[in-house]
Amino acid sequence: MEGVSRLFSGMRIAATGMSAERVRIDTVARNIANSKVTRTAEGGPYKRQVVEFEPILQRQADGREINAGVRVRAISNDEFSSFERIHDPGHPDADAGGWVTYPNVNATREMADLITAVRAYEANIELQENFVRMADRALRLAQ
Amino acid sequence: MNADSTNVGLLVRLMGAANERGRVIAANVANESTPGYRRQVLRFEEHLRAALDSGARELDAIEPELVTDTLTPAGKDGNNVNLELELNAGRQNRLLYETYAAILQGHFELLRAGIESGR
Repeated sequence: MEGVSRLFSGMRIAATGMSAERVRIDTVARNIANSKVTRTAEGGPYKRQVVEFEPILQRQADGREINAGVRVRAISNDEFSSFERIHDPGHPDADAGGWVTYPNVNATREMADLITAVRAYEANIELQENFVRMADRALRLAQ
Repeated sequence: MNADSTNVGLLVRLMGAANERGRVIAANVANESTPGYRRQVLRFEEHLRAALDSGARELDAIEPELVTDTLTPAGKDGNNVNLELELNAGRQNRLLYETYAAILQGHFELLRAGIESGR
């Protein structure tokens, strides 16, 4: 069955890309949903989250490593973007000076990220459809 | 067209290489956002053509070659995958595969015609 599983390995690679991009889409949704959260269990405002990808490497029988797709290595907090400070003394989370710290989530950047992730997701779908059509063509040889 | 079996063997190898190339393209697209990832390409037809041009008769020794593309410039994250180019390569590769399959089918039909005319 080695040959057959090899035939479908490309489809599996495209599927790993789709599931990794979906994690990115979910993360964007979480960032936008929490963009006004000023109080979290860890203290302070919500921190924007970012997804880190890494390749899946597969060792072949001959010792070579080949790329077998992608996976999410970690979802980590964005410690670099600055938080938004708004003067609102009536807010329950305002500091002594009346300033409220809002999450470091920027709606424009999140939307740009979302579009990139959706496009990449669709590209993986198209490649998967390519494989289906190629396999279908090979099957018709036998008819 | 002749129904010579060496051509069938070559077509099957070409289809195998196209399938393998589809896998490489899928890996490139899947790693579209992986920092430091360099796109890969599978070369086979180029090597066959070079061998044919130099007058070689023995094509069995020529294997598909997986090459890391270091010429395409990378972005800030060290990744040089371009989604549009990969999708184009994917469509092109599928058409190539279907072309090989169509030629192979032609061979089979020729064989069948030969067998049936003998009855």
